[in-house]
Amino acid sequence: MSEAVATGHGATVPTPAVRVQRQTVSGIIAMAIGIGVLITIASMPWWASQGLIRNVVELCCYIAVAQMWNLLAGYAGLVSVGQQAFIGVAAYMMFVLAQLWGINPFLAVLLSLIAPAILAVPTYGLLHRLDGPYFAIGTWVVAEVMRLATSTFTYVNAGAGMSLRVMTGYSADERAVGVSLLSALLLLVTIGGSYWLLRSRYGLALTAVRDNPVAAASQGVNVGRLRFLVWIAAAVGTGLAGSIYFLAQLRITPPSAYDPNWANIAIFIVMVGGLGSLEGVLIGALIYFFADRWFGEYGATYLVVLGLLTLFMALFARGGIWGLICKVVDAPWFPTRRILLEDKR
Amino acid sequence: MQWLDGLIQGILLGGLYAQYALGMALMFGVMRIVNITHGDLMVLLALIGISAAASFTLGPWTTLAILVLIGAFIGYALQRVILNRVVGADPLPSLIATFGLSIALQNAMLQIWSADTRSLPGGEITQASFQIGAMFVGVLPVIVLVTATVLTGGLDAALRFTRFGRALRAAAADVEAAALTGVNPKTVYAASTAIAVAILGFAAVFQSMRATVAPADGPFQLIYAFEAVIIGGMGSIWGAFLGAMVLGISQSIGFRIDPGFGILAGHLVFLIVLAVRPQGILGKG
Repeated sequence: MSEAVATGHGATVPTPAVRVQRQTVSGIIAMAIGIGVLITIASMPWWASQGLIRNVVELCCYIAVAQMWNLLAGYAGLVSVGQQAFIGVAAYMMFVLAQLWGINPFLAVLLSLIAPAILAVPTYGLLHRLDGPYFAIGTWVVAEVMRLATSTFTYVNAGAGMSLRVMTGYSADERAVGVSLLSALLLLVTIGGSYWLLRSRYGLALTAVRDNPVAAASQGVNVGRLRFLVWIAAAVGTGLAGSIYFLAQLRITPPSAYDPNWANIAIFIVMVGGLGSLEGVLIGALIYFFADRWFGEYGATYLVVLGLLTLFMALFARGGIWGLICKVVDAPWFPTRRILLEDKR
Repeated sequence: MQWLDGLIQGILLGGLYAQYALGMALMFGVMRIVNITHGDLMVLLALIGISAAASFTLGPWTTLAILVLIGAFIGYALQRVILNRVVGADPLPSLIATFGLSIALQNAMLQIWSADTRSLPGGEITQASFQIGAMFVGVLPVIVLVTATVLTGGLDAALRFTRFGRALRAAAADVEAAALTGVNPKTVYAASTAIAVAILGFAAVFQSMRATVAPADGPFQLIYAFEAVIIGGMGSIWGAFLGAMVLGISQSIGFRIDPGFGILAGHLVFLIVLAVRPQGILGKG
């Protein structure tokens, strides 16, 4: 306090030489590991078994869907419980492009992203009028509408669903290469893309919106526009995960495509791992993936525990596991902070 | 004639939806939170009622009285143990907490009662009907509608004219200012959740007498309650009632156009209302 008063009285105070530190040692190590993981995933067809590839693809989809939900809930302040609308609409678009229109299925995965992007515009236009919690249930209604409408849409074989028979035209090796490359791309786009976004000036704006939307608006952030753009980006990222997931599944039905369990998975992963952090999503996704493998056989009991754990996290540990780790060690894998360092003269 | 029948059946169905929607409108009006377990609690009460009625050979009206009491108790406990910790300006904690609880409840009910659909035997009254012109109208649906109207009117009057209602409205308008004038927000919150879940006791009995319940049904009832509240206009008790009527009529008419279109028609009417009149039928602004 006394220092502040002292400088206030000074006639001309030279501006201190400062620089902004944006990367940390832990961040550089994590970046190197991350690039290594991406290369490993992309090269799976040359060393991994079919079963392992299938598991890794599934894990990548969980990570992507959870991170997109994290971007919405943890930064943009938009809580959605209807992200399965974008998974289903993208996956169905991919099936239509590949199976009915004869487009290369791997190319169709990328082209199918137009569907969630188009769906995202009117849904935001309608739902942003709803207050916080009502927005969430509104997204659920949209997902239900998509499920029911798809179930009566005979062009996509209505409730009976579709099979991706064109995939029989590709050998097992070719399919493995395509799916592995797409999974690596999925992680690069959702995790890498989020990291890039959060380090950009939009990241600053998003963090400001997360902490206080009104204060952010007063600082010149266009909160509505930012939320709209994040909503569309999250829809596309979620859709990409959906297309890749169902490309690997080879079969789609309305109840599986628009399964509310996708929302459960995303919420569990983010709340247990840590809301508002990229690290938390990776931790949460790994926990969910292995819990599902080990305890999935217990069925309903396992889901009761999962639900109670989500409740517990919301009540007592909002920062999740990553939040608890951060209290002990300060070594972010994806540093997004700007640290001001003063140079000695 | 078919359409007039659809309209009447829709209004009667709306009576049931109004019983879901009232509690949700009350809780959102007072605390600005949405309880995702709303539908699951209705299913839980219904399943408790069905088991109790079978074990102790209770009639439907005794079951109703017991369920309303159990509902009030569950609501009070839910508020004290969980919701009081998550009420606040940020909608996320209350949503996630009740979302997690909803998954846990659904699966716990699945373990206890299995996935079978069940219903409450209501005796002759479930079959009874009377004739208006060429149409037959069930006695039970009319009782449901009358009950819903009485509940709505009673709740609205309680909010307007009683001391408790004033405290509730004060807490809804500004919690801190209400606390300054001697209203204990936690008591008010607990009472409103208790009332909301107690009303679900009525819904539980009527739902399980009119149709069936299964452990996984909760989310659908939650969505219907939510749509009724938004169509009617947030923060209005009679709005929730009207919204439930609109939703019931939409589903009933939609069902007569095509059996696969009934539920979807309700959702579409909700989206149309959101597009053209986002404040709802009775909403201001």
